[in-house]
Amino acid sequence: MIRVLVADDSRVMRQIVIRTLRQAGYDWEVREAADGAQALEEIRADEPDVVLSDWNMPEMTGIELLRRLRQEGFGTPFGFVTSEGSPEMREKAEAAGALFLIAKPFTPESFREVIDPVLA
Amino acid sequence: MSPIAHEEVQAIAQEVFAAMIDGEPESLVPWPDAGTGSDAVVAWVDVHGPWLGRASLETSTPAAHELARALLSMEADETVPREDVVDALGELANVVGGNVKALLPEHGTLGLPNVADRLPDGHLAAAVQRVPLAWRGHPFVVTVWEVAEPTVSVREGER
Repeated sequence: MIRVLVADDSRVMRQIVIRTLRQAGYDWEVREAADGAQALEEIRADEPDVVLSDWNMPEMTGIELLRRLRQEGFGTPFGFVTSEGSPEMREKAEAAGALFLIAKPFTPESFREVIDPVLA
Repeated sequence: MSPIAHEEVQAIAQEVFAAMIDGEPESLVPWPDAGTGSDAVVAWVDVHGPWLGRASLETSTPAAHELARALLSMEADETVPREDVVDALGELANVVGGNVKALLPEHGTLGLPNVADRLPDGHLAAAVQRVPLAWRGHPFVVTVWEVAEPTVSVREGER
């Protein structure tokens, strides 16, 4: 079973992301983190198969988390789930090593569109 | 002239509600007389950068609770903790604000969401688009504010 870490400072949004994963057909084992710093600790302690992270979070943003992971040698597959889906943000995400960026609001279909190719 | 059109703001709000709450685009409809009275809840995010402004959502307290229940897939008779109501409305503002920011010709950064019973004093911005809507019979007003000069102090900074 794929193990995912969902990082978002909004508990409500974490619940929505987890629900949407299930609705998209991904029966994954889920862990949660409330900001980038907590996500970093979680990953150091037990690396998941994939990280789904918000961009804007207190303590450590999603892009800071991703850059830190790569600096520390973690190649963990990483995708953003963020309210900002501009081309500029997508370029930044890709340059830092993200596999995809899902813009909020999203649907189970939009999850599948970007996650299925990565799983394949 | 504002770089953001009334129709664009309305379309963003409708898309957010369709995807996150109701699963259908017609759940949020224009309501010119929408007003929230004395039991209002306001959530907002600030945009910093070449364009300095704010996106706010205003609704009634009962509607804020109903929205939180809908976002968390709770039953109609369940009580929502206040922190979840604040979280839910703030996250709606975050998503609407992020999409409003994407309309701007020059991108800035988005602040953290804030939630209160009214916008803070010293709010030196002008409403460039006010979009009054109805959701399940409740008022829901989306407003985009623009600061002419960067004199407003913005909470929380960039993140």
